[in-house]
Amino acid sequence: MLSFLMPARRGSGLGMALPALVLLLAFFVVPVTLLLTRSVTEPQPGLQNYETLLGSATYLRVFGNTFLVSGTVTLVTALIAFPVAWLLAITTPRLAGILFGIILLSMWTNLLARTYAWMVLLQQTGLINRMLMAVGVIDQPLQLTNNLIGVTIGMVYIMLPFMILPLYGVIRKIDPAILQAAALCGASKGQALRRVLLPLAAPGIASGALMVFVMSLGYFVTPALLGGTSNMMLAELIVQQVQSLVNWGMGAAAAFILLVVTLILYALQLRLFAGRGV
Amino acid sequence: MTLKALAALTLISALAVPAHAQQMVFTSWGGTTQDAQTEHWAAPFSEATGTTVVQDGPTDYGKIRAMVEAGATNWDVVDVEYDWALQAGEAGLLEPLDFDIIDRDVLDPRFVSDHAVGSFYYSFVLGWNPAQFPDAQPATLADLFDTEAFPGNRTFYKWSAPGVIEAALLADGVAAGDLYPLDLDRAFAKLDMIKGDIIWWEGGAQSQQLLASGEAPVGLFWNGRLAALEAEGMPVGISWDQNITAADALVVPKGAPNRDAAMAFIAAATGAQPQADFAAATGYAPINTGSADLMEADLRATLPDAQTAVQVNADMAYWAANRDEIGNRWYAWQAE
Repeated sequence: MLSFLMPARRGSGLGMALPALVLLLAFFVVPVTLLLTRSVTEPQPGLQNYETLLGSATYLRVFGNTFLVSGTVTLVTALIAFPVAWLLAITTPRLAGILFGIILLSMWTNLLARTYAWMVLLQQTGLINRMLMAVGVIDQPLQLTNNLIGVTIGMVYIMLPFMILPLYGVIRKIDPAILQAAALCGASKGQALRRVLLPLAAPGIASGALMVFVMSLGYFVTPALLGGTSNMMLAELIVQQVQSLVNWGMGAAAAFILLVVTLILYALQLRLFAGRGV
Repeated sequence: MTLKALAALTLISALAVPAHAQQMVFTSWGGTTQDAQTEHWAAPFSEATGTTVVQDGPTDYGKIRAMVEAGATNWDVVDVEYDWALQAGEAGLLEPLDFDIIDRDVLDPRFVSDHAVGSFYYSFVLGWNPAQFPDAQPATLADLFDTEAFPGNRTFYKWSAPGVIEAALLADGVAAGDLYPLDLDRAFAKLDMIKGDIIWWEGGAQSQQLLASGEAPVGLFWNGRLAALEAEGMPVGISWDQNITAADALVVPKGAPNRDAAMAFIAAATGAQPQADFAAATGYAPINTGSADLMEADLRATLPDAQTAVQVNADMAYWAANRDEIGNRWYAWQAE
């Protein structure tokens, strides 16, 4: 009776994936194509939108900011996520369950609310600055918002689960005996980490990093509220062009460049880490 | 479920809604403004006409254009910025308003055109947090740009719109009568002097947070937001000197499915009483010339209407004609 669930031949998987594929075609491929068309037809046919975007120092700076912020966020997220994923993998199931609950709970809270909360914490008259001043660590408030610091803190916090989960998936499968073997062979803790653990965890780091980097590239709310306009990122440029200036052509061109960058990164990752698990 | 039961259910749901019941969609910016529009415009309108007003939002110009171009408009009345309304009317994105239904003669002529009537008008005013200026208090737009006499962050409206550029020019000594055409070079040069001290606000709630927390002790605000802070008991400094007016507009996107209901809604919303009630709730000024007589004198004194002697009117037609050019330059300058 359940024979339709059994993959009789390899090809039959396609049939089951059909609804998802149709959905993607109708609600992703078609709209993206229409958008791309606008980027070369508005306000008049031609490549002038791309010329404007890639030919102006200001817009190139926005591209630079986008990569700088995304790169910084990815790096900091990886550094924080790695020990957490490690702990999750080796601790008791009970504690791991509690930790997972905490990590996932943050994901279920409204993004805007979380970003506003950071604003209140980080600004010059905010809780963190007042506490540091009260205990005498600083006597002038630190500038923690309207700059790269604010964006990084706010985004790392949001991105952490997306790094921890793939990392955990890979680390969990590493046999702890391998580390014991490394120690028995005379490897120091640092050497065991660098030469054994990190290479084994590399596919997890790569897929987590790709996810965080790509999500960061298109982020809007957090950079808009915690960053200054001098750190403007591409998503904000798109919002300005489409929502404020109703210039679909420029907005579409910027969105398309973002898409191309993402696809290139994805292809690179496939090439480097294909067939290595995850 | 059997076919029979399904048929019965369909019949019941059809009976539950009277055949003549009308429905329309009103879209605005959300927050306290839309709450007040719902309470003081939509609710009485529904009661009087039986038309249900569905609230949607936030207003999105990109979306309006996409809807109209796709021939799939599903917003009937939208609250937009007045300068955008003029530009969109020119571009053919809006239905012409039916002035047989909407009474043009009772409306403030500054805020009436073929495709748009004012929704309410407001002023950009100088506001500050008195606790942070124990000695001298700022008083003029020039003080807003004087970081030596009045140190601290400044906060301005982030989006390209009438207001901040005018303020920079007025602070730089340009006479109100000579503002237009805007000298953008001069305005940006003036803004450059304090660029490092500017924190931009994206929406009204954020502007209140910045001022109340002291993050930005002084700035240029929508007057209604300062009134709301005062109403909550916070001491706020307000200077109406050279307050700069701008307005929101009510428009009907081309192809709106309930055009007649939309016109009736605009006629009702711009009536003297709804406009007076909305003004009382928000601190923004009514655009119906009959509203003032319906309001308490002390309330009237807090509205931009009472400050016309020191008022500078942003030139909406100029903005409509130059909106894209100014906007591109504004955002590029911000990102520099």
